[in-house]
Amino acid sequence: MSEDTRKDSYEERISGLTSAEFAKALQTFCDKIDIGDAAQLNSCVHCGLCADTCHYYLAGGESEALPAYKLNLVSAVFKNQHTRLGRIAPALTGAQALDADMISRWVDSLYGRCSLCGRCALNCTLGINISRLIRLARTTLASVGLVPPELQSTVSTAVDKGNNMGIPRQEWLDTLQWLDEELQQEVSDPAAHLPIDQSDIRLFYTVNPREPKFFPLSLLATAKIFYAAGESWTFSSDYYDVTNYGLFSGDDQASGVISARLRDSMHKLHANTLVLGECGHGYNANRWEAPEWLAGAYGFEVKSILEIIADYIRQGRIKLDPSRNQKRVTLHDPCNLVRLGGIIEQQRFILKRAVSDFVEMYPNREQNFCCGGGGGQLSMTRFAKRRIESGRIKADQIRATGAKIVVAPCHNCIDQLSELNKEYKLGVEIKTVSEIVADAIIIGH
Amino acid sequence: MSLALLLRLGVVLSAIYCLIALTILIARTFSFGKQPTYAKAQGSAAKGIVYAFGQGMLPWEKESASKHLPTFFAGILYHAGIFAAIFFLITTLLLIGLPDAAIRTVRLLAVVGLLSGTGLLVKRSALPYMRFISCLDDYIANILVGLLLLVTILATYYYVLQFAMMAVAIVLLLYIPLGKIRHCVFFFYSRILFGTFFGRRGTLPHPSTED
Repeated sequence: MSEDTRKDSYEERISGLTSAEFAKALQTFCDKIDIGDAAQLNSCVHCGLCADTCHYYLAGGESEALPAYKLNLVSAVFKNQHTRLGRIAPALTGAQALDADMISRWVDSLYGRCSLCGRCALNCTLGINISRLIRLARTTLASVGLVPPELQSTVSTAVDKGNNMGIPRQEWLDTLQWLDEELQQEVSDPAAHLPIDQSDIRLFYTVNPREPKFFPLSLLATAKIFYAAGESWTFSSDYYDVTNYGLFSGDDQASGVISARLRDSMHKLHANTLVLGECGHGYNANRWEAPEWLAGAYGFEVKSILEIIADYIRQGRIKLDPSRNQKRVTLHDPCNLVRLGGIIEQQRFILKRAVSDFVEMYPNREQNFCCGGGGGQLSMTRFAKRRIESGRIKADQIRATGAKIVVAPCHNCIDQLSELNKEYKLGVEIKTVSEIVADAIIIGH
Repeated sequence: MSLALLLRLGVVLSAIYCLIALTILIARTFSFGKQPTYAKAQGSAAKGIVYAFGQGMLPWEKESASKHLPTFFAGILYHAGIFAAIFFLITTLLLIGLPDAAIRTVRLLAVVGLLSGTGLLVKRSALPYMRFISCLDDYIANILVGLLLLVTILATYYYVLQFAMMAVAIVLLLYIPLGKIRHCVFFFYSRILFGTFFGRRGTLPHPSTED
């Protein structure tokens, strides 16, 4: 089926929504709103100062990409339902019913012009969590099956097959076996291996399925670090997928199903710490959102691999030789890991010890610009042109550093940055933190 | 009943209505219920809230402010003028005579506030992207507040115009719970939520670097 045909059928689905489906969507919208959401939906003063915090607006200049406009789309429905003036005189406050027109605009702007990066929220004059409210609208759309089909397909694959790439168990195990041999050669130790389904260990390590599928050497890099640190760790043969595209689709139920698998694996393996591989949204989903989706606190630690590596360095468990990474390196801050995740300094601490020439891009840390690959944008091919265009801001940031290597502790970001590398002719290599550390590590220390 | 008394009563009644309506609005907001939080905090919500109302309000902490300093300062001066006008309105209602220095200060703040508010209104009307995100309520609120500032300035010169000031105040007080000026109560909760969110996650205040 061609992309245009798929687009048409999706748009037909919107225009063919029944009154029962509109009612269900509205019910979901109202049910999901809590005090904080209601307060923030009443707060926007339309000052417009959020405009150039958004990479979509900065790159394309389209008014439909303005964060305040996107928030307006959500608050319009809220005002129509929950405010007196919104009901009596909707035109006065911009209130609007959740009808087919509004749903089309929600899809276009809230799925198609937002990567849920949270930069507008951080810089909002009033502190409105715009990206959270946009996800609320996505949840509403998900409740009536209106997640863009390509994004829904990623979520469904994860739910049905256990990982978002649909990698069969045997293929995963074959990859690990091959990597086992690679690791033994890499560290010149026939006893070195990648543990699978080991129980009563310290760390259960989870990865983005894109690693075994397309970037197995990044798995090898992490295994080398664990080997050098003498770590007690394991992969799981069943559920190892750190990603959770339900965060992006807005489908809380699917998000919960996917999250529960890692939680249950932790219990099954009797591990102490769930270690999340280099995946920005995987960190946000599993560290911050999963306990909310599953309505219960985790009885174990959840850490990013960056925290683990930084601890190894601090504790002297691994030794690095920065002269092995001579090229100039810059760091991209994945939004879900940094701004929304709070993992800000660890990657800097590591890189300053693993490379000889580290430069920051500006702005950085929590003020970083999204690369454009978040929010499910990499899946939603219908919006690919906008995604690449919005990435121009990140491309400009990278070019200004003069770096030859961009480190991105997130595989979604790596995919997007690879596309930006080609599109904007940046001429850089893109690596994970683990790959950089593995290159610098002194085995036998 | 004299016109002065009638207007004074009108302001008091509309202020009572405004407070009750805002209280109902807050109660209705609370009726949405609070979702419990299960994820273990990495940072401190309390420190995040302190940041949100302190350092986080400084222009260099927010790109939206640092890149738009004229608008940022116009906003601050606009609000300073509004608070000065409210102060003058209250003293007028309570028949408290202000010393000349205080009247001059009120007048100055109201003038600066009016100029700032007018500037913001012009910006909203002139820039296409601002018009795109604006609705009628944005203009009405700005004009009503501007009118209050204008009559306050005039009332500091001419006693008789205090009647006009009270008349505008009545209209404004009746409008507050209906339109965007309701952010006067939700602003504080929004900043608390902002501080809690980024504070718990350890994003703000900025974690210290380890070199």
